[in-house]
Amino acid sequence: MAVESATVTQLRRRPVSSMSRRKLALRVFATVVMVVYTIVTIFPFYALFVRSFVATKDASDLHLWLPKSREVPLEAEVGNLSVFYQLDLRDLKRALGIPENEYLMARMTLREVAEQYNVPEQEIKDFFKGFYTYNGWMTLLGQELQGTTFWGALLRTVLITAFSLGLMIVLSICTGYGLAGLRRKDQMAVYNLYLLQMVIPVMLIILPQYQLFQYIFNLVPDYARQGSLVRAALQLLALVLINIKGTALTTMIFVSAIGTIPKDLEDSAMIDGASRMQYVRHVLLPLLKVPIVSMVVIQLPLFYNQFLEPYVYLDPSNSTLLPFIQSTSGQFSTNFQVIYSGVFASVLPLIVIYIIFRRFFVEGVMAGAIKG
Amino acid sequence: MASVTAPPAALQQASTGKRKMSSLERRRMWGDWAFIAPQLIIFVLLTIVPLIIAVPILFTDKSQFNDPSINQVGWSNFTAVFTDPSVQADYVPAFRRTITFVALNYTTVYIFGLSLALLMYEVGFRGGFFTVVYLPLMISGLAVGYIAVMMFAQETGTGNFVLQDLGIIKKPLNIYSASGTTVLLPLMVGWRYAGYNMAIFLSGLLSIPQETIESSVVDGANYWQRLWRIYFPQMWPSFILATTMCLIGSFAVFDELVAMGATYVNPNAKFLSILFFTYGFQIERLAMGMTLAVETFFPLVLLGVALQRLQRRVQL
Repeated sequence: MAVESATVTQLRRRPVSSMSRRKLALRVFATVVMVVYTIVTIFPFYALFVRSFVATKDASDLHLWLPKSREVPLEAEVGNLSVFYQLDLRDLKRALGIPENEYLMARMTLREVAEQYNVPEQEIKDFFKGFYTYNGWMTLLGQELQGTTFWGALLRTVLITAFSLGLMIVLSICTGYGLAGLRRKDQMAVYNLYLLQMVIPVMLIILPQYQLFQYIFNLVPDYARQGSLVRAALQLLALVLINIKGTALTTMIFVSAIGTIPKDLEDSAMIDGASRMQYVRHVLLPLLKVPIVSMVVIQLPLFYNQFLEPYVYLDPSNSTLLPFIQSTSGQFSTNFQVIYSGVFASVLPLIVIYIIFRRFFVEGVMAGAIKG
Repeated sequence: MASVTAPPAALQQASTGKRKMSSLERRRMWGDWAFIAPQLIIFVLLTIVPLIIAVPILFTDKSQFNDPSINQVGWSNFTAVFTDPSVQADYVPAFRRTITFVALNYTTVYIFGLSLALLMYEVGFRGGFFTVVYLPLMISGLAVGYIAVMMFAQETGTGNFVLQDLGIIKKPLNIYSASGTTVLLPLMVGWRYAGYNMAIFLSGLLSIPQETIESSVVDGANYWQRLWRIYFPQMWPSFILATTMCLIGSFAVFDELVAMGATYVNPNAKFLSILFFTYGFQIERLAMGMTLAVETFFPLVLLGVALQRLQRRVQL
């Protein structure tokens, strides 16, 4: 064996041979594939960024850079602006000094508005400066949709993600510790039960699971009242519970990680008078950094990007980021500019985190994949 | 006398010793259960109990979650897919679309995941490229769906313009059309999960003993032979894991479809998951939706369990 590998290294080191030429070819080929794949992967994100500044009306041209801001013509009709660009008519009236109770007809052009209410045209032009270009972002970040704002939805998403991650790791470590070694039949049975999670599709249990939560929630007196604090809290709690219930992967990772830690360590901790809880907290936890990182980098995107459950469980006024963005589409299916702004805003935080902590992601994912 | 009493004493000692052991073990077991219980209770309540409470509902005509009047209908929900034209009209096309999608999506596991893993394995692990391949996994299925729309909507797709300018396609693709969905959706989903599958295959490749590869090189095996005779036979656990995850995942594909307008306007994106969702939450056919979901997924769960067992046996 040793002789063979020596020949191999010799073979590999021989300067001019068909081998090294083939290796060069491989390297060139690999580089080309990597460059092409990288461009194909990055381009959609760039295009998404650009498209969040392109008015839906101008989207039938290719834009590779932010479009030049175009003025809103004075011939534009008020109704069209409010339907296609979410122009808030109250804002317009306030800015132009038109009384609140005046009714602006949908077919009225901006020029007619200026004439009727004696507003200088320049003032209208100032109001609409950059209106087409920044419409998506202004609508997304500034307006209230279905009883909540972008910031409220983002806050709820961050809260749920943080709580879920923390609790899930604590609970999964406990499960892993309780199952470690898989020596007894009852431990094996529990382990197999968790493994079942991997093959049960979410779509199979979402309907009865929702039914179950309805049974439980309806026992709480204030739940039925729309907009009550109890209702909102219970809905968010349901999501956290779903996130921390444990999966095949979390169980596998922690069971195998804790299984490799020598039993002597626990015995000596016990002899020193530590309780099992103290052992987990002070001895086990510091040894589990690698699986914990693994868990965080695998679960973080899953929690942050969760859509089906929040879409089903949360009232629109209590929604997280993704259902919120979906609701902008349901309400104004014509304004893709807002949707693309929303999609870009929703992917940005996680991508920034990913790029900053990419080393942990690569290592954690590979460690997780080997365990799984 | 002594010779008579001695054996029972020894026996007694042995048995008390054994009892002591078992009481220690029992204490150990209860201790373990104190740690297992918190998560297990939540897990059973939210994963297993729903499957149980679903059973009586399957035999009723329950139309929504707080339906006041419920009638028993026997097995008719189960046979509806064969007899009820209104259900067939929804189910059959959705089933066809889903199966096509699953099949094509399964090929992307290899087109993206396996090829990239082999590439990485041959030229050495590149952390930078891994970061790029894994990037789409950071974004939601919903975002992938909207990116698909942004890139390949017929009139406004940025991807269409670019591909046309480069001369790769003549006519613009259309994500909303039946053929567009069939081809483009698996590609987008495959692109999203490329990093995930690559990690699975790469970990399989890295577990192959270096000696077997080196000796095959010495014996003059070409790359193709090495692939089929050395790599793949030793990567069975990876293949099975990737297959299980892809099967379960693609049958449950949902977010991408919602982004493509499946829940209201786009009929070509109405897959089985959308059907169950609309039956349960939108058109008040809850019991029927649950039954169809059970009928569809039950064989799949069995298959998944079989694959898991197979994987464990291969790993041993």
